[in-house]
Amino acid sequence: MIHVDDLTKIFGPNPDAALCMLDDGHGKDAIREATGHVLGVNGASFELERGEFFVIMGLSGSGKSTLLRCLNRLVPFTRGRVLVGPAGEQVDVGTASARELREIRTRRMSMVFQRFGLLPHRSVRDNVAYGLEIQGVARSEREARSEEVLEMVGLGGWGPSRTSELSGGMQQRVGLARAIATDAEVLLMDEPFSALDPLIKMQMQDEMIRLQRQLGRTIVFITHDLDEALRLGDRIAIMDDGTIVQIGSPERIITEPGTAYVADFVEHADPTHVITARTVAVDLDHERVGVARRVGDVTFHSHVAQSDVEIGVDRDGRVVEVVADGARARIEALDRVLEEDAPAFRYRDRAVWVRGDATLRRLLDARTYVNLPVIVQDEDGRLIGLVTERELIHGIVEKRGHGVRSPAASASASAPRPLDVASVEPHAIGRHA
Amino acid sequence: MNAFLTTAIFDPIRIPLDRWIADFVNWLSFNYRPTFQAMKRPIEVILQGVDGLLQATPPIVFIALLALLAWRVAGPKVGLFTVVAMTLVGMMGLWTQTMTTLSMVLAAVLVCVVIGVPVGILAARSDRFAAGLRPVLDVMQTTPAFVYLVPVVMLFSIGTVAGVIATIIFALPPLVRLTNLGIRGVPDDVVEAAEAFGSSEREILFKVRMPLAMPTIMAGVNQTIMLALSMVVIAAMIGAAGLGVPVVEGLNALRIGVAGIGGVAIVLLAIVLDRITQAIGEGGRRGRS
Repeated sequence: MIHVDDLTKIFGPNPDAALCMLDDGHGKDAIREATGHVLGVNGASFELERGEFFVIMGLSGSGKSTLLRCLNRLVPFTRGRVLVGPAGEQVDVGTASARELREIRTRRMSMVFQRFGLLPHRSVRDNVAYGLEIQGVARSEREARSEEVLEMVGLGGWGPSRTSELSGGMQQRVGLARAIATDAEVLLMDEPFSALDPLIKMQMQDEMIRLQRQLGRTIVFITHDLDEALRLGDRIAIMDDGTIVQIGSPERIITEPGTAYVADFVEHADPTHVITARTVAVDLDHERVGVARRVGDVTFHSHVAQSDVEIGVDRDGRVVEVVADGARARIEALDRVLEEDAPAFRYRDRAVWVRGDATLRRLLDARTYVNLPVIVQDEDGRLIGLVTERELIHGIVEKRGHGVRSPAASASASAPRPLDVASVEPHAIGRHA
Repeated sequence: MNAFLTTAIFDPIRIPLDRWIADFVNWLSFNYRPTFQAMKRPIEVILQGVDGLLQATPPIVFIALLALLAWRVAGPKVGLFTVVAMTLVGMMGLWTQTMTTLSMVLAAVLVCVVIGVPVGILAARSDRFAAGLRPVLDVMQTTPAFVYLVPVVMLFSIGTVAGVIATIIFALPPLVRLTNLGIRGVPDDVVEAAEAFGSSEREILFKVRMPLAMPTIMAGVNQTIMLALSMVVIAAMIGAAGLGVPVVEGLNALRIGVAGIGGVAIVLLAIVLDRITQAIGEGGRRGRS
């Protein structure tokens, strides 16, 4: 949907000299000292699929907003290529004429801004309809569409109000509605929730997840907040000094930070919503798991941390029996158990299973109900591994798993994405090492 | 006394600027008088149209309409004041002159808007143009009206139209300045948002910049109207009709009463116009805050 290749932006009147220095391997500071030009974005490359939620994360001055503005050429870039559109009908943003560029901005990409950018002299409805007005849609039609989209973002009935009567969170809903209304495939979002109160910010993130499920747009989302990035992104790109230092899934960013810079960020992130059961679980071949006994087709395994519990697995790799303290325990789905009130003492006669993509948060819930190791299964009900307190704590504290990912398991965890390996700048690593 | 400490120090070089100016104006009026006379024409048309309309309107209808407008934009108090003020003017026997003055003010303001707003927009878009424009505006605003009264008469001859032209020169600068200020004051993030949705330059100007700058531009219109009213008496000195006439006559013949009622009528008209235009400007601002 979006193809970005070697995108470079240098601010200044005569960027050629700066480009030469860049190609000779000089960094941002050296270029500024020698030429007075500022390196905004340095050779960014990535490829987004339709419907992907892509988050670009970095501190202020890292070039993330510049990179976003290069995508619709609000900031003209110095070198590289940006292609937008479904395969076969892609448009080259860099070489588009003024008319084509307006066409791209009206129909293919829309944008949401940190400071909302609403028109204070217009009603909420007319703000939402702005993009449609530029498209040349008739008044009655754009008003109908406007009401429809306002309903979608939870502002039904607010159409006739002035934007100044709305709170910050509601104003940003208007900004969001304006961007959605044009039916553009691509949504560019420049720190849209950064100006909001923490609670409102969380609400808006939930809203965004819900809307994205409904709309399936291709989203490029800028933030300086790693937790936000982890919550929202299918993939995250981390930027430092104009360079993308790592691109990967949230879980991968957390568990395998590519550079010291990324590791610094991840240090303070909350992993419980990101790391999955599949990552932390120990499989049956792990040294902490041993075979207790065999009965016919069923092999009973036990975890060293809870050696009095035996997990019986058949030849197909399905858990068929759990024995704790010599008695058979019931095996149930976690969701079923969570419907009940938490017990005073954790069950030892019930075992729960979760899917591989359950988060640490869910495993923590499981451990408040059930004392037995949590069974982690794949979609076909085959055992992936076990999680005891030990794995859970390790996952939260170390933000790492046990590397049990079988090729099949990781394939089902995330659809294969092109360009998943980050282009890592040598100086970015060197400085933090 | 030492010559260096007196004005004698300037004696060796004398700049004959006075003669240059006189020569220049003479040359201008000798060669280009027809051009300037032609420039008068559109203003004359506007003025005659507005004046004809106002004079033909029955005073009671005019007062009712103006009071209604004042009520709608500025509230009941201003509406009531408008009725009282305009009735007083009529009762002082100055209705016809007041309508003439009002039509002069409206004609001058109309021309100021037609020239001033586009010039102000251009100034907002180009720093170089703005820098070049600034001294011109300074000169227009600070040169005493009496100084350019004679050249105006030489180029445009005497009469109400010449009076309107002198008024325009004096009243134009604040509108240009405030339009410039208003357009420049439009927040960048709003303009960027409009750009991101594919707006053309034209659409950004008319859908974003102009509406957002409107309160400031209206403040400029208000200033222009006030300055135009303050020129009424001076315009009367070069033969313009209206409320300036009794004032000038009263001054010449020492008829304090006649000059007095002329002055009162001007003040009343000024207050009415000020309150109405200010309310229009604030109406736009209320929507912003």
